[in-house]
Amino acid sequence: MDTLPWKHGGKMRFVVFVKQVPDTSAVCTDINGNLIREGVPSILNPYCESALNMACGVKKDGDVITAVSMGPPQAENALFRCLELGADEAFLLTDRAFAGADVHATVRTLSAFVKKFIPDYDLIFCGKQAADGDTAQVPAELAYMLGCGQFCYTQKLTLSGEWKAVQNYGSEVRECIIGKGDLLSVSDEEIGFRLPSAADYIRAAGIEIKKLNIADIGLDTFSVGLKGSKTKIVSATPSKVSRRGAVTDGSDPAKAAEHIRDAII
Amino acid sequence: MNNSCRDCGQSGECRLPPGMLEQYDLGTPTADGLMIWLEVSRHAGVFLESSSLEILSKAREIYDGRIFGVVFGDIELKPLYAEAFSYGVDTLYHVKDRRLIDFHPEAYCESMKEIAERINPSIILMGATPRGRETAPRLAASLGAGLTADCTELSIEGTVLRMTRPAFGGSLMAEIVSNSVPQMATVRPGTFPLKKASGNTAGTVIYRQYGGNSFKTIIGSEKRYSDEKDITEAKILVSLGSGIRNREAICIAESVAKKLGGMVSCSRTLVDKGWFPQIKQVGQSGRNVSPEIYLAFGISGSIQHKAGIMTARKIIAINKDPDAPIKDIADEMIIGDAESILKELDRIL
Repeated sequence: MDTLPWKHGGKMRFVVFVKQVPDTSAVCTDINGNLIREGVPSILNPYCESALNMACGVKKDGDVITAVSMGPPQAENALFRCLELGADEAFLLTDRAFAGADVHATVRTLSAFVKKFIPDYDLIFCGKQAADGDTAQVPAELAYMLGCGQFCYTQKLTLSGEWKAVQNYGSEVRECIIGKGDLLSVSDEEIGFRLPSAADYIRAAGIEIKKLNIADIGLDTFSVGLKGSKTKIVSATPSKVSRRGAVTDGSDPAKAAEHIRDAII
Repeated sequence: MNNSCRDCGQSGECRLPPGMLEQYDLGTPTADGLMIWLEVSRHAGVFLESSSLEILSKAREIYDGRIFGVVFGDIELKPLYAEAFSYGVDTLYHVKDRRLIDFHPEAYCESMKEIAERINPSIILMGATPRGRETAPRLAASLGAGLTADCTELSIEGTVLRMTRPAFGGSLMAEIVSNSVPQMATVRPGTFPLKKASGNTAGTVIYRQYGGNSFKTIIGSEKRYSDEKDITEAKILVSLGSGIRNREAICIAESVAKKLGGMVSCSRTLVDKGWFPQIKQVGQSGRNVSPEIYLAFGISGSIQHKAGIMTARKIIAINKDPDAPIKDIADEMIIGDAESILKELDRIL
């Protein structure tokens, strides 16, 4: 990890990892309890959008922002959105073999991609977590695999001589100096959302999303996807709704209060 | 493919012979013991975080092997040894370094990796606190282990740890097992009850030094503590939302919470209004809470808020709108004026 003061100069390469997620309010399961992703509207994960916005915020002329996603072919919609929001190029890592990957297999794929295609990157941005998985594990695992420092819960990135990241841990807010090659995991606070302009749409339409498969990245089928995973989902059941949902009239506050007291004690 | 590993794309040599799957290299027979990172809270003194003590309580219940604890800090941690042992730690590793009083995830992981390689635990657990959720993945990657985040239930069958966690905003519960050792998980704070500590306050402490140099350059740090404990620790939460129009209601809610032995929390609206600090906010952008009883006064129930209270034992919602979304997850829905019912509740308790 290089924490030496690192001057902003020359062309910078920013990599933003994004995920396409189903709209979590519209997910259903089939009779076996498997998730049905087809037919569910997909969106760019909001935290990833924050990460991209942060990268756009520090971008200067000549810098390149690369958006990268792993997923099925239709995940390119999320990358289109990234291009509209300000990314300069986009890669989609898509292969049948990548399906069913847990965090470990995902990170292996992503880090192999970075090492092969963008080894000279300056900063990596990730969203804090995915709206569908909520695990928030990819950024830190990826940081280890790339051998770089990690800055989770980053809500602000500033440049005044050095690059500084403000991290919010809830009970503590701290500012650290970041170095070349480090990874930021971005939480959404304090980042303003920016709407793309017509010019952005036109620019985005002219950029081709590069698709890479397992052979392009140079990995083995046993190290990615379901086969490369370290964890296995044994069962997924709709969470038990044991809520009674009893509705009581509370037009008389005194009676309602007694009712609550009885329910508590 | 010149010199780089066929499996993982890393340069240099891999540990495994070519073609051998990492799945087969389980090492299960030798791995034994449960390792827990005991997070230290440095707010108004030095304490073990309750999330860590909850995991210890659960570990004692489901696991009968050796329990190893790891703490980071300097000499000020000495008074905590007894507490750690009374909650079931057999061997405590104390990584003693002044510089580690601050949180440096890279250094913490390097140390824990060394310790894990030494004791070869079959399970590694930590709290799904902000720092735990940052540390665990890095450690998992360095150990080549699988990791399950934010578990709400754990059980052990033989040597297999079964981990259950909510997925898809809480609409699904997924049961997950790890096919490699150590099996790693982070545990949602507040899910497991604290067991009473035993009288045993003796155990082995092993001091270790951190030899690496993976420190961040921290140029400023501001502690945002309140004098109270965290809302995630409360057994009863009296929570206020946009249905509360008068600021005086906060005092009444405080009084109700005090009589019930609980705490006051709020929805995002009241934080935006500036009535509450952000640490009181329940929901995905605030805190996920799992109290015994959650009293929602005038909270309509956004998706983010509902996800944050999903693991509460009992939810009682008071709202004048019978169609407020919170009704989907409420055990009791009382249709009425939140403020006057709160006032009345304060009077009769």
